[in-house]
Amino acid sequence: MANEQIPDDFDKLWQNQPQESPGVSLDDLRRKMDRFKRRIFWRNIREYVAGAIVVAGYSYYAWRFSGLLLRFGSGLTIAGALYVMYQLHRRGSAEPAPADLGRSTYVEFHRSELVRQRDALRTVWSWYLLPFVPGLAVFLAGLARSAMNTAQVVGHPLSALQVAGFVTGSASFVVVVFVGVWMLNRWSVTKLQAQIDELDVMARDSGVGKN
Amino acid sequence: MMAGRDGLYEGVAGTYGSALERLARAYEADVEARRDLLQEIHFALWRSFENFDSRCSLRTWTYRVAHNVAASHVQADRRARSRRLVSIDEVDIADDRLGVEAVSDRHMALERLTTMIQELKPLDRQVVLLFLEGVDATGIGEVTGLSVGNVSTKIHRIKNVLMRRFQAGGHYGQ
Repeated sequence: MANEQIPDDFDKLWQNQPQESPGVSLDDLRRKMDRFKRRIFWRNIREYVAGAIVVAGYSYYAWRFSGLLLRFGSGLTIAGALYVMYQLHRRGSAEPAPADLGRSTYVEFHRSELVRQRDALRTVWSWYLLPFVPGLAVFLAGLARSAMNTAQVVGHPLSALQVAGFVTGSASFVVVVFVGVWMLNRWSVTKLQAQIDELDVMARDSGVGKN
Repeated sequence: MMAGRDGLYEGVAGTYGSALERLARAYEADVEARRDLLQEIHFALWRSFENFDSRCSLRTWTYRVAHNVAASHVQADRRARSRRLVSIDEVDIADDRLGVEAVSDRHMALERLTTMIQELKPLDRQVVLLFLEGVDATGIGEVTGLSVGNVSTKIHRIKNVLMRRFQAGGHYGQ
């Protein structure tokens, strides 16, 4: 029953299907470019505003609190936030350059995208999370010291156990959040690596070199 | 440079516009999302022509951009990620869900063909689509990055699947 003509007919069947879209004009594309630029602009603004809120908040703490540890912790957190903002700016757009889409075959493009996502996730803790750790640690220590001093002044000294509980609770919360983010990233990295390996096997079988 | 970009884009949109629409149909079943995908493809093409360097043919460049955008769309789409996509080697030659009756109706045959393509992994989807668009094995290799031998093997398998799945349907061309 099967014959070699059928695939030829499927060419025609596929190519002769009715069109459903009126097409895309250059004006449509220029309007889309404007929207694209606005989106990038507002994304950058959001990142900078988030950073500015952290800087403003900890600047207020540094001004408001008198304890040396609190001020030092605030300064370190501000420095961490500025460093993260710089990294976000340096790493730029998450989207590939338009020309890469045309210069790369599917195997090359898809692999480079997976590698880019894997590396971004693999290193995110070092430039997105770690910079906040020294500041938060010193700030927490400062808060604990301040709580003890304040309690002594009002004549109701906190026990060492209460202070230790406060510090441990706060630090544990931060650690749980950081470890959670790290584990999620690790899980995603493993999944991405499996896809990269699959592409590599296919490229090797196909005689295609890696990027 | 801008005029060059616009000129290149308009030429390609005229020549490959309908092929790009068919490509979008094979990557996205939802009508609204498909319209967005098609616009994304045209947008990426238009932007890419600013850096077109003639190291490959316009056809290869156009299909690379279109397929890379569409494959990224599949990668980013939660619905698509939750579905298990198969390689052409895993496709049942005779699909039990469809029964074994002859597929003689042109519309039904097209619908089944589209559904089958939408279930493929992006790379195999590209091979099938380019094959259906009449691109030869060398051209498919230039777009996908697969060797000609590997493409030929996949095409052989595709022909086999098409012949067996739509075995008594006759000619669908017109």
